[in-house]
Amino acid sequence: MTTTVAAAGLTVRHGSTRALDGVALRLTDGVTGLLGPNGAGKTTLLKVLATAVPPDSGSFTAHGEDPATPAGRLALRRTLGYLPQTPGFHPDFTAFEFVDYVAVLKELTGRAERHREVRRVLDQVGLADVRGRRLKRLSGGMRQRVALAAALVGDPAFLVLDEPTVHLDPEQRMRFRELIAQAGESRTVLLSTHQTEDVAMLCHHVIVLAGGRVRFDGTPAELTARAAGRVWSSAERAPGARAGWRTGTGAFRNVGDPPPGADLLEPTLEDGYLLVLDEETAEAAA
Amino acid sequence: MTDTGAPKSGWHVTEEDLRAYALGELAPPLLWSADTHVGSCARCRAVLAAVSDQTALDAGWDRLDAELDAPRPRLGERLLIRAGVAEHTARLLTATPVLRRSWLASVACVLAATVLVVHAVDAPALFLALAPLLPLAAVALSYGPALDPTHEIAAVAPTHGFRLLMIRTVAALTASLVLNTLAALALPGYGLLAFGWLLPALALTAAGLALAARLGPLLGPGLVGGAWTLLMAVAATHPAGTPAAFTAAGQSVAAALAALATFLLHQARDRFDTEPF
Repeated sequence: MTTTVAAAGLTVRHGSTRALDGVALRLTDGVTGLLGPNGAGKTTLLKVLATAVPPDSGSFTAHGEDPATPAGRLALRRTLGYLPQTPGFHPDFTAFEFVDYVAVLKELTGRAERHREVRRVLDQVGLADVRGRRLKRLSGGMRQRVALAAALVGDPAFLVLDEPTVHLDPEQRMRFRELIAQAGESRTVLLSTHQTEDVAMLCHHVIVLAGGRVRFDGTPAELTARAAGRVWSSAERAPGARAGWRTGTGAFRNVGDPPPGADLLEPTLEDGYLLVLDEETAEAAA
Repeated sequence: MTDTGAPKSGWHVTEEDLRAYALGELAPPLLWSADTHVGSCARCRAVLAAVSDQTALDAGWDRLDAELDAPRPRLGERLLIRAGVAEHTARLLTATPVLRRSWLASVACVLAATVLVVHAVDAPALFLALAPLLPLAAVALSYGPALDPTHEIAAVAPTHGFRLLMIRTVAALTASLVLNTLAALALPGYGLLAFGWLLPALALTAAGLALAARLGPLLGPGLVGGAWTLLMAVAATHPAGTPAAFTAAGQSVAAALAALATFLLHQARDRFDTEPF
């Protein structure tokens, strides 16, 4: 697959701490999941790639455009759709007016063409029926879909989504996953999330970020394979387990280095993710 | 939908405008009139069909369909478009955060209270000291994350940050200058002195924006506002006579500062596109 976004050495400092510490990555078309705990640097990385924050060092290109130059930054922004972690709204706007406003910011200046595009994206996110309703009267899930419509307006080639499924109920989350999967069919999507299920269901590529560094970069299957032979069941919490919790069956599911003869279980993506984070914690403590 | 050949008004869209309409080339506000009229006038629809080829006609109906989905622009936006402002620019102007009713109402209350106090104690210096700060505050709060909830989305959009800043500045400045002028007109006893705030207001606003390019949208204007407040406080300790800022010499200095700050702001315009605000 052709690389559409490539970054090397991205570093962002907040005082004496490094929010990003030499991040390198390559993205292709399709949905890439960005996993990591709170404070891992996910939002900072997304802000850098969305050109909201310049890196202190390092560089990246998206669809061949380098945002370090004014012309490259403008060209990149013309191909970008960005859904921030806490998208803000003018509460008195209707859904249509808000997306229309963002469309104007994205240089869709022809009124008729712009209104067609606004209608298209509102249809796409399933909000055609409430397009005339004020945003303050929409539910949180609907507002999140309006924000996604605003990110999709203008048909961007690179879509940056910062935890779009957080605060959504399970049904809304499923609906949102469908929309993201659809969006990823023809463009590069970078999806930051806490939810390993999002990655398991949507992504062909996953990056784990912790402490501002890339800790894993591969496919979801490869991340799951990290936990092969390292997940086991026991009646009580195993003392050597890196993580362990009682499941619905009453038995403990343990992740770590199993004792000889342990009752091994099929690993999941979450198990692999926990082990990657555990390695990071051990490295930081050393 | 009324489907008569001649609506009650007796008005019809001209054939020339219908040709432009079919090609999607008719501009607002005539476009809006045509949209409304063609939907209810069989005669104009027939003329439209005659002057359009089928593909263009289908595109026209598609566009009309999308237009019917779109909300009617609000009063302020319609007035701007009728005054010749481009439709997309009018949308950005009217979406300026400080044009919200809550902001305008609070500024109007502050000004009304000030005018009442000035009447009561016969001290125009109080109004003159306050009035220049309002445009500065309005402009400072119209751009940047403090009051603009969509700032992050706007910051990464291809619209140049400086252009958006200028659009917002025009909107915020116009609204606050109109309110200040109304307040000044409520103080007829002071004659032209009641308008002595205008040049300092422009100087403070331009200086605040010039510093915002370097220090951020709150710190820059905040420093300028603080300096002005200090100046007025010092002037208040010498109550005899008109404060220096409102004498002819002071007004000349304000005009010169406004010009210099505008030049410096223009020089720093690219910072609004590269710096995180």
